[in-house]
Amino acid sequence: MTLTSRERLILTLNHEEPDRVPLDLGATAQTGINASTLYQLRKALGLQSKPITVHEPAQILGVVDRDVMQALGVDVIGLWNPVNTVGVRNTDWKPWTMPDGTPTMMAGGMRLSVDDSGNTYLYPQGDASVSPSMKMPAEGYSFDNIDRGGDYDEDALNARRDFSEDFTVFDDDTARYLESESERLYETTSYGIVGNWAGGGFGDVFTLPAPWLTKVPHGIRKMEDWLTAHVLYQDYIRELFDMQSEIALKNLEIYRQAVGERIQVIWVSGTDFGTQNGPFFSPEIYRKLYKPFHKKLNDWIHKNTNWKIFYHSCGSVVSLLDDFVEAGVDILNPVQCSSAGMDPVMLKQKYGKTLVFWGGGVDTQRVLPFGTPEEVRAEVNQRLRIFAPGGGFVFNTIHNIVGGVPAENLTAMYDAVRENNA
Amino acid sequence: MSTFQEMAEAVISGNAKKVKEYAKQALAEGVSPQAIINDGLIAGMNVVGVRFKNNEVYVPEVLISARAMHAGMDVVKPLLSEAEVQDKGTIVVGTVKGDLHDIGKNLVRMMLEGAGYKVIDLGVDIAPDKFAQAVEEHRPQIVGLSALLTTTMVQMKNTIERLKDYPVKVMVGGAPVTQKFADEVGADAYASDAATAVEKAEQLMAS
Repeated sequence: MTLTSRERLILTLNHEEPDRVPLDLGATAQTGINASTLYQLRKALGLQSKPITVHEPAQILGVVDRDVMQALGVDVIGLWNPVNTVGVRNTDWKPWTMPDGTPTMMAGGMRLSVDDSGNTYLYPQGDASVSPSMKMPAEGYSFDNIDRGGDYDEDALNARRDFSEDFTVFDDDTARYLESESERLYETTSYGIVGNWAGGGFGDVFTLPAPWLTKVPHGIRKMEDWLTAHVLYQDYIRELFDMQSEIALKNLEIYRQAVGERIQVIWVSGTDFGTQNGPFFSPEIYRKLYKPFHKKLNDWIHKNTNWKIFYHSCGSVVSLLDDFVEAGVDILNPVQCSSAGMDPVMLKQKYGKTLVFWGGGVDTQRVLPFGTPEEVRAEVNQRLRIFAPGGGFVFNTIHNIVGGVPAENLTAMYDAVRENNA
Repeated sequence: MSTFQEMAEAVISGNAKKVKEYAKQALAEGVSPQAIINDGLIAGMNVVGVRFKNNEVYVPEVLISARAMHAGMDVVKPLLSEAEVQDKGTIVVGTVKGDLHDIGKNLVRMMLEGAGYKVIDLGVDIAPDKFAQAVEEHRPQIVGLSALLTTTMVQMKNTIERLKDYPVKVMVGGAPVTQKFADEVGADAYASDAATAVEKAEQLMAS
């Protein structure tokens, strides 16, 4: 008997081996694909040529339509919040052309500008009367935060005041949207569903500069300042996380009431704890500052729902995995095997029974963008042999498929997945 | 009097205030600015570099130590005449065109400064022509190129190509960069982390 995609996902999340390895493309903002590359992939798959709808503007991630999902055998789909990363409602789509010429559709409320050097700017909440919050260099494929706040005043640090506008409780409209959208996805498809709740990203350097706020953000916002605060201003960090977790718990309750058991996975955190060579800060600091808050949210989720808990962290986090498990993390993404110590065989042996690996399918720092289709195929085959047995694996590239990745490498990757599943 | 050892310890623990105090005190006692830099400040940063490489300290501690070292430098550097400044050499660093990421590049800058080099940091999104301009202006022995994105790594190749007629060595680094990639694009050295960048710089200076 063939399983539905949702049944397949549930089996693997419960560490049972399904009929084939479930495949994700586009269900989260770390397992998606850049609009430029998606446009090329559609061509390579012989699908109708059309502008790519961009649901996440910062990384210019494209909506993976049903025809692509069917062509590749994708099993998982995302439930998204109605407002995007720069605070604009994802609706009333209008055309926008990427620097490389890719035709896309952006949310109608977005405002973009281009300067004389070809840099593109994004404005928070589509408000061009304030300074832009994100910038993409000429010929780029993604945006990064602009430092709007400047240096902080160490004598005036007050986390609750500095971040008073960053976190908000879901309003009724949002709750109603989540309810009807989750019903639509659950009733009209048989895909596994990830709820991109996104409220547990403590200290995420992508969200710290608050690119969605029109007001210039105060306090410790810059990456280097934030990292030094882990030693210098631990109380500030704790106070910020305290406030964020209070609102997060309210939002979890609203989210649960809105989506119920229609989602199987909840995306909680995208904070990067690893660099190429090791963790950003010591495991002791993780235990002291982050773990209690992770545990608080994860415990609530496990107590009140059947959702599996998804954490994304780039880099080498091998020295933090025992703590992640203790804090209640169920799913690890993107499993950056190219960073120090993140050996796939060791990971599967040591953590294969407790963590679901969602990612790790192919290296994206060298093999996928620069390798030959044969090299891609060989690595995918090897990773499937390591991660697939016994379940606990969802196939995905290591982080989003970015711009400039050759379409023939992508088709080689999906061919290898399909052949392994046959 | 405070010893160089104490000054180095204050750099290692990242205590900018103490570093400043020790530096002022040493000057008052007639210690030469160059000795304070070499035997106190740089000696401290050397230890930080080794500990960072061994995963005994992490990014926050390195950043804090670098700030403490700078606090000491600010005290003594104005007292050095142009002729007395004995930098080990000049290094231009920058993140390549199209890439706005700079935490790795900044760590490299701090480590190189901590090792006694004069570092000209051009910032992020630096086009090959801008690197060339900086080479003409500052006459460095080494140029360091950084990239985080696979979409911008190609700019390392373009920059190295642009710099090929200048008497300058090029060192590359960044998360997706490997020794193999460095060889392919014709870089003179590859550094896998900020502490290694110092070792590679020493080798390039000696070669």
